[in-house]
Amino acid sequence: MESLYYFFCLYANLKPQSLNNFYQKSLYKEFSFAFILPGDVLIMSDKDDSEIPVITEATSVLEGANCEPPENSESVDQSTETENKSEPIVSTRKRPESKPASDIETAEVFPVQESESKDVPQTGWGYWGSWGKSLLSSASATVATVGQGISNVIEKAETSLGIPSPSEMSPEAKYAAGETNAKDNENSFPMAGPFGVFSTISTAVQSTGKTVITGGLDALEFIGKKTMDVIAEGDPGFKRTKRLMNRNSTLSQVLREAKEKEELWTYNEVTMETDKKTHYGLLFDEFQGLSHLEALEMLSRESEIKVKSILSSLSGEELQTLKLELEQLKEAFSLAEFCDEEEEEKKGDEDFTKEITELFSQLHVSSKPEKLTRRAGGCCFLSPLVQARNTAHEWIITSLTKPLAEEEEGGKQLEAGTPEQLNKNSVEDIHAFAIRSLAELTACSIELFHKTAALVLHSQKQEVTAIERSRTLSQMTVALCNELSSLSKEFTTCLTTAGVKEKADVLNPLITAVFLEASNSASYIQDAFQLLLPVLEISLIENKTGSLRQELQVQTPLSEH
Amino acid sequence: MAYAYLFKYIIIGDTGVGKSCLLLQFTDKRFQPVHDLTIGVEFGARMITIDGKQIKLQIWDTAGQESFRSITRSYYRGAAGALLVYDITRRDTFNHLTTWLEDARQHSNSNMVIMLIGNKSDLESRREVKKEEGEAFAREHGLIFMETSAKTASNVEEAFINTAKEIYEKIQEGVFDINNEANGIKIGPQHGATNATHAGNQGGQQAGGGCC
Repeated sequence: MESLYYFFCLYANLKPQSLNNFYQKSLYKEFSFAFILPGDVLIMSDKDDSEIPVITEATSVLEGANCEPPENSESVDQSTETENKSEPIVSTRKRPESKPASDIETAEVFPVQESESKDVPQTGWGYWGSWGKSLLSSASATVATVGQGISNVIEKAETSLGIPSPSEMSPEAKYAAGETNAKDNENSFPMAGPFGVFSTISTAVQSTGKTVITGGLDALEFIGKKTMDVIAEGDPGFKRTKRLMNRNSTLSQVLREAKEKEELWTYNEVTMETDKKTHYGLLFDEFQGLSHLEALEMLSRESEIKVKSILSSLSGEELQTLKLELEQLKEAFSLAEFCDEEEEEKKGDEDFTKEITELFSQLHVSSKPEKLTRRAGGCCFLSPLVQARNTAHEWIITSLTKPLAEEEEGGKQLEAGTPEQLNKNSVEDIHAFAIRSLAELTACSIELFHKTAALVLHSQKQEVTAIERSRTLSQMTVALCNELSSLSKEFTTCLTTAGVKEKADVLNPLITAVFLEASNSASYIQDAFQLLLPVLEISLIENKTGSLRQELQVQTPLSEH
Repeated sequence: MAYAYLFKYIIIGDTGVGKSCLLLQFTDKRFQPVHDLTIGVEFGARMITIDGKQIKLQIWDTAGQESFRSITRSYYRGAAGALLVYDITRRDTFNHLTTWLEDARQHSNSNMVIMLIGNKSDLESRREVKKEEGEAFAREHGLIFMETSAKTASNVEEAFINTAKEIYEKIQEGVFDINNEANGIKIGPQHGATNATHAGNQGGQQAGGGCC
């Protein structure tokens, strides 16, 4: 299951892979498969939607990749269109997704993905839960540094973009091996996004003759140009590169120019992304998610120290009994429900608030509810969560119904092609709101867990056992992750609806980003849930022997120094 | 968003002395007479400028209730500054200061800057603790002292900012090891970006100009 996440990262272009490596390993067949994958993901995630332009496009691309050139005129047309219109789009994009680059990377993990897609149930939760779980198992306890992690990843994505630097490519080109395989190359360029130039050049460079070893750069350039001419005949998406080649006589110059362009683009993008506040990590911090996570981690760590010290002070039968009980507690934390929680998803939307409130009350953590819940309608720190969730849902509903209503009124207007007027929310708006909502909901969930930890440690008498609490908390985790999952699906539905007229290379990265951040959110929530284990362990121990409480405070002062 | 330093603060003191109100006044510039009881800890953040440098204050507002005491102690670690608050209209809150101070000193780093705050200075008629007493206590224990009113906002800014100034001076003097995050100080992305790529650096600076 971990591999799915890995794939996801690759697809979203978050892990810069060594392209040199790829050149050595890659086969052209893998190359063409790579283009299936983005479409594949979308089909998996948007299965409910019957008419999503993205899928259609991705699917036809797939056909194009596997068919002979004469049969794929349709897909060729599409890619031409993408190619021609991609340039102005580049400057408005926020997320650093680059189609061809990620495709290249994805190719490396293709075999893994193939088996994955068979295993993954097509039900939303199975899909989410399973990779959430894999994240869980791989997640370290260094939660406090999560924020840095997020920004690091994003920075990496921003700076790397999976693009090989021309300087790396040039020596690569000198020693490039393999015969020119124009036919294969024809089929390898159906996608031509903003990085079309690069993927084409790099492939061309790679496919430039084994026979040229001593010919020098001039000869290579000559062959490279020849090769590209051959490629270009069957690949209209290649036109731009060809144009570049005609204008600039040497390959090295093209590469340098492309690099400069790339740098500028990255710079613009970094600025815009920060300005427009679609940075999940920053938003998560803004909603105090990081602080709550850090605080929860502190409580967790303190509890862990206490548990260890108590265990070391016990021996014999007493120790064995306690160990057994702690083992049971741990089992409740294994989130086994994730797999058989499919019916849960069929529940109505309105049930989330009810469910989470009910689950929280089952925890019986507030011994003096009148003091803790002054506000009407439940716990004071449950309300932001519920509120955040409801706001998101209301927004989605308005966003989905508005354009539809207007569409009915002026159907002809839509055909005339004025989507900007019809859809009040641009795909960028939806994307920004989606990321914001995910960050807020996650921050609120973490706050809920942190407060729960504080209350569990605070409450002296227990009406419910630690194991019962653990089970309830595990249900809460499932409910929260389910909610994130359905929310991200709704947002992507919004995106696909609003982005009917958008090109795949604009829309796909936004959809990917929403899914990616939803997966991050799920993993933070599950990390936070795991941090509760030591807290419940200490609560179990304290409940067993109330006298231990005092003893313990003498034994283990809270500070380490 | 882009800051030179981030300081972690904790606010401690008896329940009802106005810790949460001080935070709200500082972060939101408003006063809320009735406040929810703080559970464990609440958070607030604000950007301030000292010596031309952007400093982000990350404030941990702890629960004052005695029953939460063992939990709130967990939060002390890694704080660069502490606001120790008492209520000038309640002598018992002043009498408890020694316990709070011991707690704070024991569970946080020795360089932590502590600001003693006598809150509710607007309620002069109900005053039980003289200003001189507060000053004397602060002098005795090496604290900075100030009387504030979260209601009228009097001295609230100053309390937070003066604490930050003190921390900043300690950094300049080399007392704080800023690379050790256990001291409650983080170096902001602006500083860290010095070695970053050309593109990243420019992006960061521009972002800094956009906010705050």
